[in-house]
Amino acid sequence: MSRPAAIHVAAACLLAFAGVSAAEAQTVPVAGEPGGATADASTATTPAGDRTSDARSWLERMSEALATLNYDGLFTHSSATQTESMRIVHRVDRGSGRSLERLVSLDGSGREVVRTREEVHAYLPDRKVVLVEPRGDEGSLLKALPTPGPKLDKYYDLSLRKGHRILGRDIMVIDVRPKDAYRYGYRLWLDAETAMPLRSVVGDGAGRQVEQILFTRLEIKDSIPAADIEPTVDATGFQWVRTGRKLAAMPQLPASHGLRPVFVPPGFRLVASRLQPMPGSPVPAQHLIFSDGIAAISVFIEPASGLGPRPPEASSMGSANAYSMSIQGHVVTAVGEVPAATVREIASSVAPLSGSATAVPASTTP
Amino acid sequence: MTDQIREQLSALLDGELPRDEIGLLMRRLGRDAELRRAFGSYALIGETLRAPGGRIATGGFAARVSAAIEAPAGVAEAPSSVHTKTGAAHVAIWKRPAVRTALAASAAAVAVVLFRPDAGTQQVAQSDAGPVVQFAAASYSPTPAQSQRLASYMVAHSQYSTPMVRRNVLTGLLAADPGLTTVSYEIGEAR
Repeated sequence: MSRPAAIHVAAACLLAFAGVSAAEAQTVPVAGEPGGATADASTATTPAGDRTSDARSWLERMSEALATLNYDGLFTHSSATQTESMRIVHRVDRGSGRSLERLVSLDGSGREVVRTREEVHAYLPDRKVVLVEPRGDEGSLLKALPTPGPKLDKYYDLSLRKGHRILGRDIMVIDVRPKDAYRYGYRLWLDAETAMPLRSVVGDGAGRQVEQILFTRLEIKDSIPAADIEPTVDATGFQWVRTGRKLAAMPQLPASHGLRPVFVPPGFRLVASRLQPMPGSPVPAQHLIFSDGIAAISVFIEPASGLGPRPPEASSMGSANAYSMSIQGHVVTAVGEVPAATVREIASSVAPLSGSATAVPASTTP
Repeated sequence: MTDQIREQLSALLDGELPRDEIGLLMRRLGRDAELRRAFGSYALIGETLRAPGGRIATGGFAARVSAAIEAPAGVAEAPSSVHTKTGAAHVAIWKRPAVRTALAASAAAVAVVLFRPDAGTQQVAQSDAGPVVQFAAASYSPTPAQSQRLASYMVAHSQYSTPMVRRNVLTGLLAADPGLTTVSYEIGEAR
């Protein structure tokens, strides 16, 4: 992929999306809604199958761009309750090929997430805490994740069209419309040259905007200085919360390995199962990861550790929802960028499975 | 149901409906079956409180709740095709007897009790006739330990997502304000 000239636009570009059509600006892909309502002349004559195929191709290009380009950008993150300015610096380590990244909230909580070669550090100044999570083997993981192939068409309607320029760049717009209420929809404005998403909107089943990310400046560079990945938070006096001892030193799960969600939405399949050390817990959680090729859902199952039954809890962070409840002496938590009702239904379906502990429930097979 | 009524239901469940409108809405609930079904689904599905970050229930789920309300007592609702494949091990929360009883009773009369950290227990609405069933839900700011745990889940989850979803999840973690609200539903049973 050729490296484009730096995309660097003044603050006035905050208003760049004002030039986006009303339909682009306000409509969020809705479950079951016919797609391509605002297709322009350049796509109107293209067969629908080709457009879908093209959209899948662009999704793949976008994932590759996010993971493999060096970039430094400012963006606004908007949810139902607040808008914040943030910065992202992404660097590909030449030696290991790993993605190194720093995400920082510029005018909100001051929180910062740094992905180093070996760990993910989440600096939470409002809590005076740094959470430390070992990084997984992303190479094998990404291979395990379903790619947006033809099977995706069963669960999402994809459409592609040209959009109005953003940050002075030509734009391709992808609509990802879920066909049921278990998933969110997406509208993505991709730079036509690099496939970097310059704007993205997550929408719920009713067409409401859950979250928006809009870049106001983006520079794609040949290289990023290592210093730009260093955290800016002064963590002096912060509590460093690590996820505990290495797995080899931890007792294995005696019982929860036999618990599995009996229900996951159609199209989601189990792509990974691992033991996840948890802060403050001597026993790791069973971490199951399900994906439909777009969305991912994690299910954590861990012994209740004498806490006893707890009332169910629903939480949200941005567009991600979590639901936690007690089931047979365990705390089960489902997390994912899916509607709240979806994680709740998955968590509440967890039950002992007879037979192989690693068997994939029948319902997870697309 | 009009958008205005939907907004009133949401405001009622948020404890933000003006007092003079509560009685009016409750009288309407008493005579409007469709409205009661909508109210039951709002309350049960969990997006009822519309706390920061909360969202309204999706249509499919609300429809299932409505079906549960409509089904005769003691008759199991026909499971979805997915559930059929997986047998009877999973009983969705709204299909459990206690909840169904609550839902059925809610069609006759409803009381909503909201627990808020700043207001304690507050009964914000009650119909004026028939038996009363209380949907009890609590909305509160999590403890630091709960907040950390949620953040840990999010960070761990983000590592097993596509690059776009990972960015979204981590961005959500940055944006979460310290007063992140957790909604806890007391009507569910801990198995």
